Amino acid sequence: MKQQKTSLLRNNAVQTLLASLLCILLGLLIGYIALLLINPAGASEAITTIIKNFMTYSKPATQLKNLGNTLVKTAPLLMCSLSVLFAYKAGLFNIGAAGQYVVGAGAGLYCALAWQLPWYLCLLASILAGAALGAVSGLLKAYCNVNEVISCIMLNWISLYAVNTLLNLVKEETSPYTLNLLNTSPGSALPSLGLGALFSGNKYVTIAIPLSVLVAVAVWVLLEKTKLGYELKATGCNKFAAQYCGMQEKKNTILTMAIAGGLAGMGAALLFLTGFEQWQCTQSSVPGMGFNGIAAAFLGGLNPLGTILSSYFIQHITNGGAYVDKTMYSAQISDFISALIIYLCGFVLFFKFTLNRWLDRRDEKRTKAAQADPQKGGMAE
Amino acid sequence: MEQTYAIEMLNITKRFPGIVANDNITLQLKKGEIHALLGENGAGKSTLMSVLFGLYQPEEGVIKKDGQAVQIRDPNDANALGIGMVHQHFKLVECFSVLDNIIMGVEPCKHGFLQKGEAREKVIALSEKYGLHVDPDALVEDITVGMQQRTEILKMLYRDNEILIFDEPTAVLTPQEIEELMQIMRNLAAEGKSILFISHKLNEIMSVADRCTVLRKGRYIGTVSIQDTNQKELSRMMVGRDVEFVVHKEPAKPGKTILEVEGMTVASKAHSNNAVKNVSFTVRAGEIVCIAGIDGNGQTELVYGLTGLEPLKGGKIMLEGQDITDASIRKRSTMGMSHIPEDRHKHGLVLDYTLEDNMVLQRYFEPEFVSKAGFLKRKAIRDYAARLIDQYDVRSGQGPITVARSMSGGNQQKAIVAREIDKDPELLIAVQPTRGLDVGAIEYIHKQIVAQRDAGKGVLLVSLELDEVMALSDRILVMYEGEIVGQLDPKTTTVEELGLYMAGAKREGA
Amino acid sequence: MILLLQYMLIFASVLMLVALGGCFSEHSGVINIGLEGIMVMGALGGALMMKFLPAGVPAVAIILLVVLASILLGMLYSLLLAVAAINFKADQTLVGTAMNLLGTAAATVFVKAMNTAEDVDNVSSIIQYIGPKRAFLVNIGSFEFNWFMLLALIALVVSYVTLYKTRFGLRLMACGEHPQAADSVGINVYRMRYAGVLISGMLGGLGGIVYITAGVSEWKFENGVAGFGFLALAVMIFGQWKPSRIALAALLFGFFRALGNVYTGFDFLKAMNLPAAVYNMLPYIISLVVLAFTSKKSRAPKAEGIPYDKGQR
Repeated sequence: MKQQKTSLLRNNAVQTLLASLLCILLGLLIGYIALLLINPAGASEAITTIIKNFMTYSKPATQLKNLGNTLVKTAPLLMCSLSVLFAYKAGLFNIGAAGQYVVGAGAGLYCALAWQLPWYLCLLASILAGAALGAVSGLLKAYCNVNEVISCIMLNWISLYAVNTLLNLVKEETSPYTLNLLNTSPGSALPSLGLGALFSGNKYVTIAIPLSVLVAVAVWVLLEKTKLGYELKATGCNKFAAQYCGMQEKKNTILTMAIAGGLAGMGAALLFLTGFEQWQCTQSSVPGMGFNGIAAAFLGGLNPLGTILSSYFIQHITNGGAYVDKTMYSAQISDFISALIIYLCGFVLFFKFTLNRWLDRRDEKRTKAAQADPQKGGMAE
Repeated sequence: MEQTYAIEMLNITKRFPGIVANDNITLQLKKGEIHALLGENGAGKSTLMSVLFGLYQPEEGVIKKDGQAVQIRDPNDANALGIGMVHQHFKLVECFSVLDNIIMGVEPCKHGFLQKGEAREKVIALSEKYGLHVDPDALVEDITVGMQQRTEILKMLYRDNEILIFDEPTAVLTPQEIEELMQIMRNLAAEGKSILFISHKLNEIMSVADRCTVLRKGRYIGTVSIQDTNQKELSRMMVGRDVEFVVHKEPAKPGKTILEVEGMTVASKAHSNNAVKNVSFTVRAGEIVCIAGIDGNGQTELVYGLTGLEPLKGGKIMLEGQDITDASIRKRSTMGMSHIPEDRHKHGLVLDYTLEDNMVLQRYFEPEFVSKAGFLKRKAIRDYAARLIDQYDVRSGQGPITVARSMSGGNQQKAIVAREIDKDPELLIAVQPTRGLDVGAIEYIHKQIVAQRDAGKGVLLVSLELDEVMALSDRILVMYEGEIVGQLDPKTTTVEELGLYMAGAKREGA
Repeated sequence: MILLLQYMLIFASVLMLVALGGCFSEHSGVINIGLEGIMVMGALGGALMMKFLPAGVPAVAIILLVVLASILLGMLYSLLLAVAAINFKADQTLVGTAMNLLGTAAATVFVKAMNTAEDVDNVSSIIQYIGPKRAFLVNIGSFEFNWFMLLALIALVVSYVTLYKTRFGLRLMACGEHPQAADSVGINVYRMRYAGVLISGMLGGLGGIVYITAGVSEWKFENGVAGFGFLALAVMIFGQWKPSRIALAALLFGFFRALGNVYTGFDFLKAMNLPAAVYNMLPYIISLVVLAFTSKKSRAPKAEGIPYDKGQR
């Protein structure tokens, strides 16, 4: 029995899960402490509100509808986290998911609102725009040795201003927001296929949600089962070895960033083409979706299937944050908690290392004990 | 007392998770002697020296200086006790000047500001006294390896160290430079310095040391006086059995030309000169051509140029009659070029991949291992890896699914050798294939290389070890400053002559 | 024209301070992507000090206290990076990114909570500091001199001297180039890296307060510092990790940033009728172009980004 337990703890997936849970717990705990410091009176209620999210409502129908809302925003987050994860597997830190998401939103919305193109073309436009932006970072990295983190950040801001300018052409006259998608171009909205009915008639619930899960599975298959995945991961682990065995690491770098960009761009389409949100053309900061994607990717243990869960979790608490009592706390408390979680994810390697060393020591002691006293050792077996 | 020891390490034991690196080792260094520490790679020499230098703390054992027990917690303590060390991999900051490197850690200062004037005078005086010529203001990255070593020695002398440790100091030097170093060591000993000389080269130990302590697999084997011993006995102590230094091989029967290089020139990354200058040579089927030379004379770049890791600035490469000058790395590989790289961690393996994934690194794209739709055939990969592991005796914890990082250096190298040889190449390029391996693995890899030759393949071997060059090659090409300065026949040449070519003191046609 | 010069100098001061901060951190061997978050924290510290200083405090005291508050908060915040990167060997890019997000989020949460506590209806994340800000300004003709410009210049000179003329600088750079070498001569690599990161926290925090007082008299903390920390990193790379070159690079980038603020004052620029977004984008585009041309022959500290492990050698 004990042998079994040891091997379970040694299992990498189990360790990852443990580490992620620990990050979540610590993140929530510190968030709770922050709430306590701000205003002790409502802290407990606020943290439960964040964790409960849609369950704050008492009516099941309303709960379901709001679960739908959380899921609508989980889909783009999942795409962004897949984008970050995909690049990270190939050794690149795609902090540019935020910018790729922005251009994806710009391209998709413009195609929808200005030209009233059907939804699949708008979706394609978003993917291509994101991919193109990602490819720029990839090109700069491959041919000019520009650190992708820096170039991505620069491109994030450039994209934001560019998209603001572009979407200014299709905005409502009286507000800074883009035209309402469902009124202006219903054909550009993602089809619901009756999914909305499942969530108490939430009209924003569309194929976006199952689509994002499918993409997650596809990314997993691509990384684990295919030749391309083998090459990209090899490039990520050791680009010199990749070059040595004849992989074209420059091409792979660009391809990786393009795919990552496409994923993030698609994420934007999966949100904005539901009509759930309108773009605010006076935005002065890059939307947090791409950055939260980093949190989800790492919290999910850098496994595409794990990110499905972690994306939902991050979105769950982000949405939950919207319900806290505004007279005491701000909704950004959720951002604060997810930022904390990313920070804590930095300690995961150390956690695994320490855990493994502890297991090593324990095993060594056991074997020693077994050698010193074979009968007793035999009993323990 | 009949004998005072400068330093004594008594019954030292140092464990790391899973292994005992030093098991009850005793080493006693007399004042003014040159004491050799002999052992194979992994015998525990480096660990023992790290303990002496304060980098590790031993679990058991005592260190005594002049008969007094001392605690050495960090290099500062070691320095305070007058212990200094020339590390195998120099501990020099490349973009600093020689002087900055020498004073680093013991900088002469006024209110935190550096006062280099006095230091410079002391360094110049020391370098004149011991014949260690080096320009204190030159940047370390601009000077030769030999000068870098002298900088390291000056570093110890500047600190007035009495106990000097030399960790494998001759690996990077020419035979002539080695002779100079031996002389420097003798001078230092004559001045009363006590020297610990770590090596696995028996002839050097026989020529310079007074006594020798032998370690094997972390254990203390014994200490002998050099006068009372010989190379054979030392090698038996080191390896634990009689070792054949001769590689058995039949005379070569060279066939058709496999590789033809003409006027090859490769730019250097480190400096504005070309690293390889207008080099031409051929390799024929069934012969081992060896590129000899001191590290950093263009061998690395030559191989990069041949294998496609670096583009050529000029010249032409023909493989089996086909021009591959501009061919991609993959093309060269599929055309029959195998490459055992110099740095197995940098190029040879994806350390975080499993052994099986590393085994197919050069073949994963072949129809045998990947379907038309681009999916990997996992079963085929597993079977293939299992066969290689079995055939080439690659040992690992969990077989094909062992993560390469967790394997020993020797088995990592065996895996690479297996992968490159099993590709059934026409030309095998092996760069320092035995670096850092123990005698058993070295013998094994040498046999494999000779077997390739006997199977009618062309072999190009790049080696820094003269013994290896002499034992394996059918033809020797010597590289000096990016050029081939001589072609020698190992049967008729001597190590001394080879050394003259390597040092640039002699060249053909001059 | 004078306005352009004024803005250029103040933005260059920000970039220089923060880039010098990054320079110290990287020379010690730690990549500091989190400068953006450190700036936010420094800005927050300074802004709070200005908000809560009673009226009638002499200008010199205001300057000192504000600078001190920014530096202190910046340094405290940089400890997050130091602990994670040096003691726990965390991925420095990941931790830096987290710090950027955390900085903005924490500052927003804090300021909003503070504002709401004062006035239930105030849910903004804005701090105003119109009055105390005047302490930093001296009018020389129509040129508005800011004491921070002098401070940046002092920081530049001190950085140069520290890096190249002192024992501390020699040891610091050794840790970023070849930590094993530094360790072997008894230099405590961990301690030097802490020093490098803390200095970057100090300069980054200072840069933060300079940034939010440049041109405006209130700051909305939800916006963070708009990628200025990253622009500073670009300045540092363009400056090849050398203080003197960083100063030049900062002036160049400061110029383009300043254009965005004052382009309406130039008739020929106005005549071109470009959208404001172009000027907003300009510094980022320029930095990308510059990086594309300068990154190939980068002389980054060799050991930067690699956690130092005493056991591995």
